[in-house]
Amino acid sequence: MDPSEVEFLAEKESISIVPNFTLDQIYLISGDLGPFSPGLPTTVPLWMACSLKQRQKCRIVPPDWMDVEKLSEKKQEELESKFFTQMPSNHYLEVSQLLLQCATDDIPKADEVKTLIKDIWDLRMAKLRSSVEVFVKSDATHAKLNHLTLMEINTVRPFLTAALDHMHALRSNLTSGSRLSQD
Amino acid sequence: MSQTTGHASDNYFSLDDILTTQEKLPCKVEMPIYRLGYLDQSSDDSTLQPGTKLEMPFWLARSLCSRRRHIVSVEMPRAYRESYRQIFKADPNVVDLHKLGPYFYGFGSYLLNFQHSEAADIGNSLVKTFQGRFRKIMDSSQNALNQDTSKLTEKLDESEKKIFVAGQLGLHDFQRWETRQTEKLMTSAMVQKHRKRKRAVLEETS
Repeated sequence: MDPSEVEFLAEKESISIVPNFTLDQIYLISGDLGPFSPGLPTTVPLWMACSLKQRQKCRIVPPDWMDVEKLSEKKQEELESKFFTQMPSNHYLEVSQLLLQCATDDIPKADEVKTLIKDIWDLRMAKLRSSVEVFVKSDATHAKLNHLTLMEINTVRPFLTAALDHMHALRSNLTSGSRLSQD
Repeated sequence: MSQTTGHASDNYFSLDDILTTQEKLPCKVEMPIYRLGYLDQSSDDSTLQPGTKLEMPFWLARSLCSRRRHIVSVEMPRAYRESYRQIFKADPNVVDLHKLGPYFYGFGSYLLNFQHSEAADIGNSLVKTFQGRFRKIMDSSQNALNQDTSKLTEKLDESEKKIFVAGQLGLHDFQRWETRQTEKLMTSAMVQKHRKRKRAVLEETS
């Protein structure tokens, strides 16, 4: 899967905006949106929010978790926990990437948020890498990881599947070899 | 034995597999092979005498050494013997697997087909060696961005290189997305090359 496809999925996340125009309810396949009236917050998918923002038709209300204090707490929690912690959004990286790109002015302390998100991402990737290593070194056949987000899985997917294939090939000739010597 | 032939025919058209089975291994002739004396460069005899030692590619040795036919006996190549297995055990990361045979794992797997007494040990050693080298391959493939990777891959066996490339693919895709390069529409590499070729042809004809 390409990261841009993951981003496409993330764009379905809903987000709150404050429009500055008037429009009746609109009917889309994914559901009805609006009505839009100036100053009244309403919920739209992320792709729409970005597009409206780019045309300066709205102000984006950043999600609750996109806040320096909450993110620092999250980072601390991630640092202390041995396992992956539950992230506030399944698409935290993509959402923040998109919002930081098109709506920097609506996010308080955008640069700090950006660094924090990156820190959390790096922490989690390091954790993922060490758990992958433990998994490959132990002769386990399956492992379970909770709270991984799609983007995280996606970046290691090509590597991990190739490595596990190779591992499997080496292991399977081990078992077939012993079977041959038994008969 | 049907398993092994099934395994081989899976890769019938695989170039890697062909190269793997080309690897030579030391053999000892067990019965006279007539009129093939020229295979042994050191003797003028027209017949290969029992006891002659020579190197044969794996695909030939496989058909000459089986339960039904025992025309030659196969010895384990140096890299798979006990002394080397000890080295792999001590520190798999320092070994240059590319030098020991670019298809170290694949060839090793094939060698298990000869009912050799050490086969089980070799199989185990292959798995352990890969497990030991795994972390290094993972880290180097996931962290090397915009730098020459030939230094990192020179000690890797061909199959490890494939895994390395897969890791790089994941990293590069992600980096391209993170730096927002995926948004830009680019000319496909195929089209670019195609135009170049066309231009070259045009220049030649004019």
